[in-house]
Amino acid sequence: MANNIAEKRRQQEEDDDEEDGDLDGWGERNYADERSWEALQEDESGLLRPLDNKAMYHAQYRRRLRSLSTASNSQRIQKGLIRFLYIVLDLSRAASVMDFRPSRMAVVAKNVEAFIREFFDQNPLSQIALVIIKDGVAYSLTDLGGSPESHVKALMAKLECSGDSSLQNALELVHEYLDQIPSYGNREVLILYSALTTCDPGDIMETIQKCKKSKMRCSVIGLSAEMFICKHLCQETGGLYSVALDESHFKELIMEHAPPPPAIAEFAIANLIKMGFPQRAAEGSISICSCHKECKVGEGYICPRCKARVCELPTECRICGLTLVSSPHLARSYHHLFPITPFDEVTPSRQIEPHRRSQKTCFGCQQGLVNPGNKPSLHVACPKCKQYFCLDCDIYIHESLHNCPGCESLRAS
Amino acid sequence: MPQVRIIAKNFMDMVASLPAMKLDSLYQNAYICEAILRSLPPLAKKYVVQILFFDGPVSGKLLEQWVLDDGVTKHRVAIDRLIQLRIFIEVTDKKRESSYKLNQTFQANLQKHLTNGGVLPRETMAATVKLPSSEDLDTYALEQWECFLLLLISSGQAEKPTSLSSSMMKIFQRGLLSQRDRDAPRLTEGGFQFLLMDTNAQLWYIIREYISNSEERGTDPADLISFLLELSFHVTGEAYNINTLTEIQRNTIKDLAELGLVKLQQGRKESWFIPTKLATNLSVSLTDSSSRKQGYVVVETNFRLYAYSTSKLHCEILRLFSKIEYQLPNLIVGAITKESLYSAFENGITSDQIISFLQQNAHPRVAERLPSVPENVTDQIRLWEADLNRVEITPAHLYDEFPSKDTFEAACDYAREWNGLLWEDSKKMRVVVKAEIHMNMREFLRGQK
Amino acid sequence: MTSVPSKLYSDDVSLVVVLLDTNPFFWTASSSLPFSQFLSHVMAFVNSILLLNQLNQVVVIASGYNTCDYIYDSSSDASQLGLENGKMPSLYSNLLQKLEDFMIKDEKLGKEQSQRAIKSSLLSGSMSMALCYIQRVFRSGPFHPQPRILCLQGSPDGPEQYVAVMNAIFSAQRSMVPIDSCYVGAHNSAFLQQASYITGGVYVKPQHLDGLFQYLTTVFATDLHSRSFIQLPRPAGVDFRASCFCHKTTIDMGYICSVCLSIFCNHHKKCSTCGSVFGQAQSDTSSASDLKRKAPET
Repeated sequence: MANNIAEKRRQQEEDDDEEDGDLDGWGERNYADERSWEALQEDESGLLRPLDNKAMYHAQYRRRLRSLSTASNSQRIQKGLIRFLYIVLDLSRAASVMDFRPSRMAVVAKNVEAFIREFFDQNPLSQIALVIIKDGVAYSLTDLGGSPESHVKALMAKLECSGDSSLQNALELVHEYLDQIPSYGNREVLILYSALTTCDPGDIMETIQKCKKSKMRCSVIGLSAEMFICKHLCQETGGLYSVALDESHFKELIMEHAPPPPAIAEFAIANLIKMGFPQRAAEGSISICSCHKECKVGEGYICPRCKARVCELPTECRICGLTLVSSPHLARSYHHLFPITPFDEVTPSRQIEPHRRSQKTCFGCQQGLVNPGNKPSLHVACPKCKQYFCLDCDIYIHESLHNCPGCESLRAS
Repeated sequence: MPQVRIIAKNFMDMVASLPAMKLDSLYQNAYICEAILRSLPPLAKKYVVQILFFDGPVSGKLLEQWVLDDGVTKHRVAIDRLIQLRIFIEVTDKKRESSYKLNQTFQANLQKHLTNGGVLPRETMAATVKLPSSEDLDTYALEQWECFLLLLISSGQAEKPTSLSSSMMKIFQRGLLSQRDRDAPRLTEGGFQFLLMDTNAQLWYIIREYISNSEERGTDPADLISFLLELSFHVTGEAYNINTLTEIQRNTIKDLAELGLVKLQQGRKESWFIPTKLATNLSVSLTDSSSRKQGYVVVETNFRLYAYSTSKLHCEILRLFSKIEYQLPNLIVGAITKESLYSAFENGITSDQIISFLQQNAHPRVAERLPSVPENVTDQIRLWEADLNRVEITPAHLYDEFPSKDTFEAACDYAREWNGLLWEDSKKMRVVVKAEIHMNMREFLRGQK
Repeated sequence: MTSVPSKLYSDDVSLVVVLLDTNPFFWTASSSLPFSQFLSHVMAFVNSILLLNQLNQVVVIASGYNTCDYIYDSSSDASQLGLENGKMPSLYSNLLQKLEDFMIKDEKLGKEQSQRAIKSSLLSGSMSMALCYIQRVFRSGPFHPQPRILCLQGSPDGPEQYVAVMNAIFSAQRSMVPIDSCYVGAHNSAFLQQASYITGGVYVKPQHLDGLFQYLTTVFATDLHSRSFIQLPRPAGVDFRASCFCHKTTIDMGYICSVCLSIFCNHHKKCSTCGSVFGQAQSDTSSASDLKRKAPET
């Protein structure tokens, strides 16, 4: 645990640059919080050198990637692609504590907004809903929906905290809603818990068993300290429990929930879902759209079943209930089903292979792989096409592109 | 030959103000065409490239159709610019509609350039002595340029004398330095602003002055302009034989070497010149676009200043408005204090100039942050400047111990009539009037008694 | 489809990555535009980009039938060196030499391959390489040219590349890199239409191929800053409907397998891609091994 903390602090330096300037009164913190003196190391001759952040960042990244992929590749667990996720925000008294600047509530809200956008980017067919715990009572802020804007708007409008927090009330409420969704969907709950206590009207253990029976996967991210009840909840339902150390760590933890989780075999029931692929409305056609109830010209889509007009995709047709998508939406999820294999590190012994000696530049970006002095720098190779890549391309390929340029440049027979 | 008058601020305006025949002869050089094309606003560039291979004139209406509504003003600006530089020639037909045609020479040159690629007027040569590396070249250029600037502001810090004639230096210094009879020359307000400009702008200022004085030295400004623009297309770090230059060009090259634009070297039989980055970047800065140089200044919220630089020039510039505390081998540490700023304001530098200098030269590590200079520092600089304007001083006289209320009232009215009343207190019967009307007031009051 | 948010560009310095289609199967059959003429149009276009601004950069990547590779990079030192006998400037000689070498390599690699029905070029490979290069440019510091990709393609779309091309398109959309397409083949390319639409680029299928240079300079030489106020060809309705896996016909309504997202036009008992039986909970190993990287056609 202590090692993790030290590593996390060092990684914070890279993440620091991502903080926006909207933490107004805390502008100085952005400036002075670099702690570059901590990132010094003594080398052989006793001189101080800054830590090689790049190699360490890369090593951490690869460890994370490996742990994600060995789980899925070796056992070939499928991923739940159609997710119905409830985000539960704890807005009790504890959320106004200022150990996360400017306050826990503000940090949570900012990261939830970023998370919602990332979530819909990676899971276009899924839906999110928001639930708030305040004054010991849980109530739903938004219904299940696929449009990020409405959730974000509702969230930002209602940011006040007071009273106690109640875990059981939240779980009961979410359970009630999630019971109604169709069986092919993945039921998930993400609880962002700031408090250290919970005020429950009944036996929370029963509620936890109920959730487990309904196949709800509950995960918790704590902002204060580890709690037994949260740990128990996550263990029973198969979710992830983690506690955030600081703002950037919190952001990292919440973003881990954006890609689809491995679907547990007994939970996933394969189903054929009926979906519509609407065509674009003709230029200049005038109709009343079913989402805003306004008269619009041109640009829009026509539901193939009931011919109602909708403004954007993906959405559910309000008149006949058909899910409307376009093929790129489906395509966005394909990379989860066909992940690329992680690259292997190139050890010095491999580098003297004769047919590889000629490759001095990264195959993807043409950056030189040789440090001054003819020493080869750290680089990786794809196990399938054997091409060399630099560290930055490795990260980009696995996190964003999901294509290996080397494999794509080979005509598969 | 009509004289070329330098009224314009911008180099391209200067080119545009050349007489028509001169401009046409300039366009015979393909590289000039290229340089001038690059200096146009983006929309104008597009128009030229688009109608480059058209044979006849293009109607103005057609050109307008290419632009969306948002861009109508840009369209007008572009067309005006093109006509000013005689790249577009306006042709009005019978229906009073205008169409535009490209300048023949310009068009021919660019067409050739596009299909065949550019060919330099001189080739590189194999040098007999080892050529300097690009880092060496950059340091050389920087040293020369800074030395020149230090000499320009008559600072005692310059290390070596220049071979530029003193009359030349005087011409450059005109407008930047003012000299009273026996005192050392002092920088004028223009001089300070010059120092705070970025390198490319300074370079162009010097070159403009150089060109504008070329007639007095017997050289044709158009030739100079074309030579300079041509120089910017040479390859940095490659050697070019001096024999390929004309006599005038040879003299110019010697002057340019003093400025750091080229490096002269001699082998056993031949001598050559090597263009530096300063020369090849000339055409980039033809317009007023901001420079892409790396900054070196970090300003902190406690008003301390850290400049990662070894250059004496930077030290001098920072000394203009801050108190330099220590100079380490690669770091200058200073603080922005009230006194240092007051002395800067007295010299005519405004707070905006100081702030924009700090922002433009911000070190890359802080440059991406918003704001790159902390707000409390910029606010304070502005406040201190406003401080100087807060108190207005007027010489005045105080009158009190009036015998009666009536005399007091009469005195006040009198002062008001003469527009000299600054303050009155009717309870204590005191009045303050401007010093100019003091004599008249005394007469008046004596008359009252 | 929501449109791409537009970045505000302050100047017109651009980096254009040109993906050049060198597929020999297409070019030998192309009667209206021979490859040599095509190349001369492209070279003049590359020259015009480099002419417009001193800091502009052009990178050319060739997509062949069996492989892809970098052909030319205007910012590398080699391209700035002096002239060869003063006859042809280095831009031409370097580019043409490397292109020739590439095509020889491409042909050599193809000797053992089997025959395929559709002779497409490796668009996904060159797009991925282009995106990696652009990421490197983004990393290079605060002052970098604004990148965009231009696909000069004539070969038909290869359905086996669908997933890879879509991945590249989404990654480009995320990094806000527009993908322009100039299609010189026979029928419209659905991949490129989608690419340009999703990333905010321009798709043009020129009608008069002997005037290709004019199309290129008028439309594709426009830098990103100017695109906000210049008229550019607008996308004329891209068809985003999917095709079913069983018949490959475009459908309006269909059934999606919740496990692997394959599209069917009729109700089936079992999914043909992943083998899941519908209506039952799954067991892991048997179903997952059938997952193949199949591509629906659009």
